[in-house]
Amino acid sequence: MIEVVDTVTLTLDGRQITVEKGKTVLQAALEHGVSLPYYCYHPGIGIDGSCRVCIVKIEKMPKLQTSCSTVCTDGMVVDTQSPDVHAARAGVFEFLLINHPLDCPVCDKGGECPLQDFSYTFGPDNSRMEFPRRVFDGEGVKADVDFGPTLMLNRNRCIMCTRCVRFMGLVDGDAQIGVINRGNGSEIGTFNDEGVHSLMSGNLVDVCPVGAITTRDYRFKSRPWDNPSVTDTICTQCSKGCNTTAWLKAKPEWAKGSSLIRFTPRFNADVNQYWMCDIGRFNYRWVEGDDRLRAPLVRDAQGTQQRASWADLMPKLRDRLAQAGQSSPDGVKFLVSAHASNEELFLFRRLTEELLGPSGPSTITVSWRVTPKQQPPRTTFKVPAVDAPNVNGARAFGLVTGAVGDPQGPSNVGALQAAVAAGSVTALFVFDPGPDGTLGDSQWLLDARAAGQLPLLIVQGVLMTSLAKAADFVLPGASFVEKDASYTNDQGWLQATSRALATPGDAREDWQILVDLASGLGVQLGYTSAATVRGDIAARMGGAVGLVGIEGLAFASTMSARTWLQASNPSERWKWDFMYQDLPPVKGAVEPSSLPPPPGLIPLKEVK
Amino acid sequence: MEPLLTQDVRKPNGYTLDFYVEHDGYAGLRRALGMAPDQIIEMVKASGLRGRGGAGFPTGTKWQFVDKKSPNPRYIACNADESEPGTFKDHVLMERNPHLLIEGCAIACYAIGAKVAYIYIRGEFLHVQQVLEAQIAEAYKAGYLGKNILGSGFDCDVWIHRGAGAYEAGEETALLESLEGKRAQPRNKPPFPAVVGLYNCPTAVNNVETLCNVPLIVKNGAEWFAALGPEKNGGPKLYCISGQVKRPGVYEASMHVTLRELIEGERYAGGAREGRTLKAIIPGGSSVPVLLPEQLDVPASFDAVQKAGSLLGSAGIIVCDDTTCMVWLAENLLHFYRHESCGKCTPCREGTDWLHKILHRIERGEGQMRDLDLLASISAQIGGKTLCAFGDAAITPVQTTLKHFRHEYEAHIREGRCTLVADWRARQPIGAH
Repeated sequence: MIEVVDTVTLTLDGRQITVEKGKTVLQAALEHGVSLPYYCYHPGIGIDGSCRVCIVKIEKMPKLQTSCSTVCTDGMVVDTQSPDVHAARAGVFEFLLINHPLDCPVCDKGGECPLQDFSYTFGPDNSRMEFPRRVFDGEGVKADVDFGPTLMLNRNRCIMCTRCVRFMGLVDGDAQIGVINRGNGSEIGTFNDEGVHSLMSGNLVDVCPVGAITTRDYRFKSRPWDNPSVTDTICTQCSKGCNTTAWLKAKPEWAKGSSLIRFTPRFNADVNQYWMCDIGRFNYRWVEGDDRLRAPLVRDAQGTQQRASWADLMPKLRDRLAQAGQSSPDGVKFLVSAHASNEELFLFRRLTEELLGPSGPSTITVSWRVTPKQQPPRTTFKVPAVDAPNVNGARAFGLVTGAVGDPQGPSNVGALQAAVAAGSVTALFVFDPGPDGTLGDSQWLLDARAAGQLPLLIVQGVLMTSLAKAADFVLPGASFVEKDASYTNDQGWLQATSRALATPGDAREDWQILVDLASGLGVQLGYTSAATVRGDIAARMGGAVGLVGIEGLAFASTMSARTWLQASNPSERWKWDFMYQDLPPVKGAVEPSSLPPPPGLIPLKEVK
Repeated sequence: MEPLLTQDVRKPNGYTLDFYVEHDGYAGLRRALGMAPDQIIEMVKASGLRGRGGAGFPTGTKWQFVDKKSPNPRYIACNADESEPGTFKDHVLMERNPHLLIEGCAIACYAIGAKVAYIYIRGEFLHVQQVLEAQIAEAYKAGYLGKNILGSGFDCDVWIHRGAGAYEAGEETALLESLEGKRAQPRNKPPFPAVVGLYNCPTAVNNVETLCNVPLIVKNGAEWFAALGPEKNGGPKLYCISGQVKRPGVYEASMHVTLRELIEGERYAGGAREGRTLKAIIPGGSSVPVLLPEQLDVPASFDAVQKAGSLLGSAGIIVCDDTTCMVWLAENLLHFYRHESCGKCTPCREGTDWLHKILHRIERGEGQMRDLDLLASISAQIGGKTLCAFGDAAITPVQTTLKHFRHEYEAHIREGRCTLVADWRARQPIGAH
């Protein structure tokens, strides 16, 4: 059925355009490729009408109007380019910069700053301000102050768009930020200078159109032009599955390669809107941390774990597993974290079916951690308690009870725990590709191991957890940013992570490890890539809720930051045409000078 | 015209309920309760009552705009945040004739179908608030407020909310924000308060003096009221005359009276001080353009003053004689506006401060000729670009003094000091003022 949408037709810069009823002039303009600046407006936190830079001329209205707060009506005639609009806009930009410090060279936002971009595009060539800038530095006080555990606030740079104030009130649900003092002395502040204490604090950096709010995590660590590549992915640290972008910072020339430098949220109307929580944003160091598993480990006769090659490890692992399986076919159990992707869950299912018959999957226990998050009751962005991305995937494969989309509670490992305690488990294969602890409580396993109740413990994972330290075999796998994999989130949406980084050292992608293991055990699964696994999922259970469309899932590839910005953010894409205009060319990329200039390119200004 | 609003303000017990009732008080409310609400609105429209807060918008029309279809409750918000420099009429009414305002609030509530009126009173008017609160309590006791007023089945409550001291809180939407407990910052319009006002409910925001006129209209009829003044400018009007005149104060007159009569007439302010001549007047509070002495022969009505090139505004007439340096005047006013800008929108927040810095520099004798163009340019950059009328108000002193008294600015810059011989500050060392 075609949805009938009420529309209005208006004239924008002499062009007839038709937009959905209720859209503002600013939205209409941005949708139709007309450049208009804006600061206080943000699609996720509404209209304030206070920055005044989006003013346009609308026929039959006596004064210039802010386009962000004017709703389109039929027959409206809007002019964004008339001389009086140009002059008025330039005037507001002059005002915005009279007190804003021009410390762009040392400002974290420099290079991706809307104030920079818009001022170059719409502002006057110079300022007539001759007085010292307003500064908040004083005796014993700096303009740059702590703004809670995750943020810093530079009050000199603030242009009082109040996006942060409205974000905290409307999205976070706890209006911790307010404006204190009045007029020209207004500043952003928190009660008693306590700073922002919120699970959503990182989003304040995204909404801040200047470098006033910065994260302690990213501060002074990189510049936009040092982050040449980005990969669209999703966050897997809870069951929500926020759409995110992984930013890679180029390492110095001598070191080659690149490393993770930050995550930013990506708009998805159904899942996370414009936001992500601080857990997903800031908890990424483990991916490239010292605890990462980089080589397979085998416990030798003396009881120490020794590095081994995959070729050495596989026969030993096969022998031990086969031995355990033959002595007690019911004694081989699998403990799989709900961080496992659909592909990996499917492979475990296939493997157990091939080895043990139709009852094979009952040897698989899926486990996850549940940590209720402290959030204000009025928040519009609930961070789920389940710290794993794929409980619904496990349900789709019949490994966890319940239907896809049902509420998710704590995992049930009771049966396995009882079997281990009874000493009937001869071999346990643990798969844990998530950050440390997200498998849930594993102390009982360690205790059982110490008590000698677990003769064989195999851990496939990414981190040297206490469980990995206790294992006989350690198989290094891939973290969520190192593989193309699919997950089914708590609403039942099938989403994909994408490979942004190579796996470290000898670590391999998990589907590969499992296929090799199966082949070692005499089961030829016949998959040659993760895509063939997905193809087989579709063939065997393509209609299952939560897995529909898995074979055609698109994965993002790493691309240049510039391309990403243009493609992923169409409402602002014109802006990015200006953003990276003077970057050195990326190796292997098209030489920018060979391309036609982007429309409206402003030549770099001569420094007088 | 005999005073109608202020006739009893000098009587020691003129503010009490007994005195008010003895002198035909609450007759308007009694009559109003016998009429249909729409009839009252029609009556106020016919009377030509225009808002006394400054904009001069027809009150009946404003009430008619109040959204009757909304399922939400409706409110009357009385703007008693009298903060415009040069304006001091409302506090006289509230302190000395409080029952007139209470009656006006009750009738207004009845007319628009509200059950609650909030009086947003300026924070500094503590003594006025105390009087008003005591008299509201009296009115409740006597059954003029509360449940089932005068046996009509109509309920009306009047609450006083004391502001925390911001000029901007006098802007109607900022007033509503402040009433709701937020920062006094204006909202986007539309939607107008008549549709989305206090607590997102339909609200009529009226000035104290406006509401005080309502009982008179209901009591004596629309024609009587309209006949008191020139066409479309009916009713009595309070004028606050301040500055360098013999008898500054609040004067009540019909809008037939001319500005010259008000300033020089023996019944009114009595003219400039001995030996001094008029130099300029600001007829409607600090936010309106100045008029020169030769422009004063116009009726002090909304329309006539506008025709003369200024605005009647809140009728706060500030008179300057030849001892007033206009550069200093502009600097002084911009100091006020810079201090009172709420900081919400960019041009006003940044521009007023910049204007003040430049004016201060000129006033100190450190100005340059190009500053004058800069002043004009910055003013133009603010004017019409702001969320509320504050920006336009703030640039008016600069634009209008530049227009009429540019020579004083130039003299300041040329001589590096104030050249006004009559100004006491001219005798001070440079930089002392």
